[in-house]
Amino acid sequence: MTLTSSQAQASLDDIEQIVRRVKQSALYRNASILLILWGAIVTVGYVGCEVVPRYAATVWLICQAVGLLATIVLSARFARDGEDGIDVRIVGAVLLFFGFGLLWSQVFGQFSPRGLNAFWATLFMFGYALAGIWFGRAFIILGLTVTALTVVGYLWVGTWFNLYMAVVDGGGLMLCGLWMRRA
Amino acid sequence: MTAANEIIHQTLRLRLMAALTALPPKSEGLDFARLKKLTGATDGNLGAHIAALERADYVTVEKMFVDRKPRTVVKATGTGRKAFAEHVAFLKSIIEQ
Repeated sequence: MTLTSSQAQASLDDIEQIVRRVKQSALYRNASILLILWGAIVTVGYVGCEVVPRYAATVWLICQAVGLLATIVLSARFARDGEDGIDVRIVGAVLLFFGFGLLWSQVFGQFSPRGLNAFWATLFMFGYALAGIWFGRAFIILGLTVTALTVVGYLWVGTWFNLYMAVVDGGGLMLCGLWMRRA
Repeated sequence: MTAANEIIHQTLRLRLMAALTALPPKSEGLDFARLKKLTGATDGNLGAHIAALERADYVTVEKMFVDRKPRTVVKATGTGRKAFAEHVAFLKSIIEQ
């Protein structure tokens, strides 16, 4: 078989495109499970804040702990099944976000309960949008859309803000996860 | 210089091997529907080329039922991964000349 240089390059370009699409698809498939999980968890969190506002901090603490544990278990399963597990750098980035959030919510900031929920939601959505620069447009769309809707809700949705956020934040994560499953 | 692999070099078979070797060896492989979407092939065409790769022992094909629906999963073999890597090396060697 004789091939010209341009034919060989065209084949290599074709290969690169397919490999990129397969890896993107695999990343989206694993991310979809985590997004659906966290969507369900934050939905429970917001509803909990609405139902028992006195215990909002405890509700969120339990939700985060359950979410973190489930994320670790799922990530270990991905790795066991030969999939790419969660990169330790991503874990580090998430912990940094948490740390930044705690610093502002507990030390520097003076947030109302409504403001606190909006702060945490937009902080993590900022993280998703940032991640999208490397991992795919879907994360950018998720991050920016939920942030925009959070601003709308914070400013204009009256006393129903927690339930609104359950739909927007929780629902947004789950919808994005379902879309990624099909991508 | 390594030699070209005439089985792999056909356009659709090249894309199939690229897709299947993009996943780690321990992964379960890719199902027919996903391969069709990735390669842009028709059902008949895809089936024929997968069969050709299977005859060459470059892929394995597993048919199963999931929720009573038939599902075909294709996975690259060690032989197939090696052959594909050698063919990619051949392509790169042409460009480097």
